[in-house]
Parts: sequence; structure tokens; C-alpha cells
Amino acid sequence: MSRTLLKTSFVESSGRERAHSILDDQSYKELLGPQDNIESPHLEPQGIVPQSDDGVVVAKGTINEHPAIVISIEGNFQGGGIGEVSGAKIAGVLELALKECESGMRIIPVLVFDTGGVRLQEANYGVLSIAEIGAAIVALRRYVPVIAVIPGKIGAFGGMSITAGLCSKIIMTRGARLGLNGPEVIEQEAGIREFDSKDKQLIWGTIGGEQRTAAGFADVLIEDDADAIKEKISSFILEDTVYSPRTLQGDRYETLLSLVEPEQRLSANEVRLLWKLSENEEIKEKLPSLESDKSTGRGQTWFDLLRADFLEIGDIPSVRVADGMIGEKKVRFIAVVPDNQNRFPRARKGEVGLLEAWSIAKHVRNAIKADQNSEKRTIVAIVDVPSQAYGYHEELLGIHQACAAAVDAYASARLEGHPVISFIPGNAISGAFLSHGMQANRLIALHDEGVNVHVMSKQSAARITQRTLEELEIATKKVPAMAYDIKSFEKLGALFSLVDGVEASSPEKKDRDIIYKEIDRAIEDVRTDNSRDLSGRLSSSYAQSGGRAASILVREKLREQWK
Amino acid sequence: MENFTFTFPATNKIDRFAHVGVVGSGDLEVLMEPSSDLQTEVTIRTGITGFETTWEPLIQRFFTQHDIAAKVKINDFGATPGVVKLRLEQALEVAANE
Repeated sequence: MSRTLLKTSFVESSGRERAHSILDDQSYKELLGPQDNIESPHLEPQGIVPQSDDGVVVAKGTINEHPAIVISIEGNFQGGGIGEVSGAKIAGVLELALKECESGMRIIPVLVFDTGGVRLQEANYGVLSIAEIGAAIVALRRYVPVIAVIPGKIGAFGGMSITAGLCSKIIMTRGARLGLNGPEVIEQEAGIREFDSKDKQLIWGTIGGEQRTAAGFADVLIEDDADAIKEKISSFILEDTVYSPRTLQGDRYETLLSLVEPEQRLSANEVRLLWKLSENEEIKEKLPSLESDKSTGRGQTWFDLLRADFLEIGDIPSVRVADGMIGEKKVRFIAVVPDNQNRFPRARKGEVGLLEAWSIAKHVRNAIKADQNSEKRTIVAIVDVPSQAYGYHEELLGIHQACAAAVDAYASARLEGHPVISFIPGNAISGAFLSHGMQANRLIALHDEGVNVHVMSKQSAARITQRTLEELEIATKKVPAMAYDIKSFEKLGALFSLVDGVEASSPEKKDRDIIYKEIDRAIEDVRTDNSRDLSGRLSSSYAQSGGRAASILVREKLREQWK
Repeated sequence: MENFTFTFPATNKIDRFAHVGVVGSGDLEVLMEPSSDLQTEVTIRTGITGFETTWEPLIQRFFTQHDIAAKVKINDFGATPGVVKLRLEQALEVAANE
């Protein structure tokens, strides 16, 4: 049979077949495969049949003789959702590759996405894993290009679209989709007039492979041919160039956003034109509207309290930035707050939207640059975010990429030696939390009913997992990672501290002093610990005593099999 | 979700571990592992409840026709009997050939 005449469909292949087709025939070595049978421990208690590899294939080998790892998500199992085991497989193998790269090897990571994002049945485990995956990719990119392939049929959604946005190169087919919020979720959260999830043409024109490539959110539109995909990946490995990932092209994306008039519904074609224009245009200065009413939310309240009398340096009303002091330490405070005049109407209630995420990225990057040769100031993310912004324009203009830029900036600051601390006096929810807070060295939360951590509103989560709200509530009781309260989140071991006895909504000076002390303690902890990654979340006592049992086990097994 | 196990006497050892399929809509995953006991043990987990009486004759017929000593795990996500039989045959082929 002549292979040259018969193309092998990459899209129709299983996750494992895809991994095989990318790696050289004899080199393929799968880690934690079906025989190891490490299943998700969280599915059976919810009446869901698990899979022997938890839906993720990780394999080591070579691509045209170049050392590589391939991570391939099986979209047919639970929609490719990232749970604790599947997430730890991805993060764990990236961390191993990173170690090799740090010691001089050149191992190219390739991620094949086919995922709806966080597996809602394991909720916060998914969010924690995706933060760890992102942290590893940002660290790896300092040594090697990280390649993303999005073949379809599902595409890359939710937190995993942010992950794709962190990669050096993105390859898509015409049948692939890339977006932060899936069509059903936008319809649920923002209404059918914002996005009709049954309108296929609308979906492909917004987040489909062809549109994404033409509008600056992917690099290559490729035909569905396994050999061609392998050769394309290989060409990116061999090219001896340093890629500038999209996350570092904030000026261009800001220009794009400045060209948009959000009052009118943009078409797919208009975005393509604006993207071309943005290459040469200057940013149109949009003066922040001064008449915005100042929010009375927790984010704003705490921002004002913590920055004390230091001047604000932010450039949009919804992202508050100030350089203050805690004792002798220089601290940059960043908060996302409601702005009822926001140019993008879907981001007026304190959501992390397009402008917000790019602005966060800019202000974190500025601090990194300014401190290149001096004391690395602490960066404190004040987290009170109800969600990412759900809207048509948000997807069309690449909110996943904006979020990736924020993730990248915080992670880079951490890697450069800035203590990055998240202070959570309010809600810390899904993509918004991933972008603003989750990359911190240390997380500090208030023990208060108004502090919630979760992945998706209960209404949306019920719709996507096809359960009733009542069924969802019952499942929540069995799996702490699905619960929304901060006490349950604490059990997962990611918090540095949960602070009692602080007035969360209307704090006073004494409350501020308690938080100053906590932040100071966290900074000292970062300085003595010396590690610049997120490993502290797995070595905490809660994590060790069962909170992250599967995450730890998976990493141990991966290490054994890596050699 | 339901769980059940069937065992049958067996004599022929399979050569190697086999894995086929995916726990996806209308499909199932089959894992077949060589066993030194003179029996086949089939463990089934299925998301579709109330079909034990459909599984039993299907599994029994298959392992009467194929005498293999193995530990067989089935993770089912609503496969029809035809698909179950097909996947078992595929697994057997993988277990016998390189």
C-alpha cells in the first residue's frame, strides 16, 4: 500500500494514534499508559465510569530524531476534560521535560488539544492542574519552543484555551475550534442574543481554525493529514529561531482592541481586516472615562486600603494598579474591579475581559522590566473576580489569548524572582482566577462566606454535565474539589493561609495590618523557600495528607518511568 | 453506574497485555491481561444500569468460543452488544499478535 497516496486523517485518529503518528515509529514510549491503570479516583463515587489512562496519553520519543514529548488528549473520554489525574500527567511530564532542559537537553513538548477544559466533575482539581501546566509551559519556553496542535473535533476550550495561548506555535485544522467560553456557556451566561449556540456558522466564524489563523490567534491552518502535521511540527523544531509568543505581543493586540467599536457587532471578516491593520496602526488613545462610579466591591475596597496613600498608575478604570510599601518592601498591587462604563459591556461587573487581561499583563511586565537590575518588587494580585467576561466580542477578539498574556506575565514575574502573592478577599472564579491570581507563589484567602473558588456557575455546570441543580449539589458534597466555599478549597492544599477574624466587606486599619502581616510572612516564605515554581502547592500539609494524593502519585510514577 | 464480575474456567494463556477502545459515547474500553490462574475473570463497569442480563450471555458466549486465561476489564459507556463483541475480538487479536 502506498502511503504517499493515502493520507491518514489526524482528526479521525484516537488520542493514542495521534501521539504515535507524531513520534518516530521505534522511539515511542508511553508513560502511565493503560496497563498502569491510574484512573481518576473522583469519577466512580459520582457514578461515572473511569478510563484506564484518564483520557490523556503522554509519550516520550523523537520527532525526526529530535527528542520530544507528546501530550495527546483523548476528546472522546469525558469531552477531554482535565481532572486531577489527567492534569497531573500533563503537568508532571512537562515538569520532567523542564528539568532536562534546565540541565542542557533540548526536549520539545508538543501538546495535542482536544478538550473542553476543566472536567467539571473534578472542578478545582482541574483549575489547579491547568495553573501548573501553564507554569511549566512558561518555564519551558525559555529553553525550547512549545508546540500546540488543535485538530478538532472538540478543539481547545476553557482553561485549556489559555494553555494553548501560552504555546510558541499553534497549528489548527479547519475543523478545530479555539475559545475560552464554549457557545453553550456564553448562551447560558449572556443570553441567546449575545450568542446563539445552535448557529454553526456563527461558531465557526468566531472560533474556527480558519478564522483564528486569519485573525492572529493561530499560526498555521493545516489540512487533516497526519504526515503533514508531523512535518509542520518538525519544521518548527528545526528552525533555529526564537519565537515571540503571542503573550508578548501585547502592543499589537492592544492596537487591535483600540480599533474596535464594541457598540456595533463586529463580523468575522472585519476582525481579519482589523488584525492586518493593527500591524501598522498606532494605538488610538481612548481616554478612560472619568465619570465611572467607583465600585464599592471588595476588590476596590481592599485595593484602596492596601495601597494606602500611594498613587495609582493604572491605565483603565477596571484595572487598579499602585506601587505601595509593606514595611520596607516595595509592592505593586493589582486589582480588577467593576467599571460600569467599560467599553466592553460584558465586562462591566468586575469580570476579567479583554482589556483587563492585557492591562494586567502590561503592568506586571512593566514591573519585571523596571526591576531588572534592582530589588524585585513583590506583586500582589487582589482577587475579587466574578468570572471572565462571557460575550461574542470577547471570543472573536481572543479573550483566551488575553488571559494567557496575564498568566504568562505573572508566571514570568515569579520565575524572575519577584514574590507574587495572591490575596483573595472575594470571589476567585475560573478563567478569571487562572489569569489573575493562580500563578502566584503563595495564595492568601479570607475565611469568609463571601469568598468562593470555583470553575463555573452552578447553572452552567449543570447544563454542561447534563445534571439537575439538585444532582449537582449532591455530587458537590462528595467531592470537595467541586464545592464552592473556601474551606473546601483549603483542603486541596494550595492556600498559604486562610485568615480568620478579618472584616472582609468593610475592613478597617486593623484588618489591613493583619493582611500586611500575612503578605509579609508570605514574602519571607517565598524568599527562604527559594523555589520559583508552584511545587509548594503539592508539598503543603493538606496536599500531602490526601488533598492532592493523585497529583502526587502520578508525578512519582512518571518520574520512575521517565528514565 | 453498575459493577459485575463473571468468571469462566480457561486453559490458554494469552501472550501479552492488550488495550483497545475508549470510554466514550457508544463505545467501551477493554483491557486484557495475562493470568496464571486457570480462569478468565471479566470485570465490567457500565454507566448504563439494568442490563446485566444482556451482558451475561454475551460475555459467556464469547469466552466459551475463546478459551483464554486472562483478567479482563471492561469500562463501558453505553456500547451496543455488537460493539462489545467487536472490541473483545480486537483485544484478543492484540493480545495474540505483536
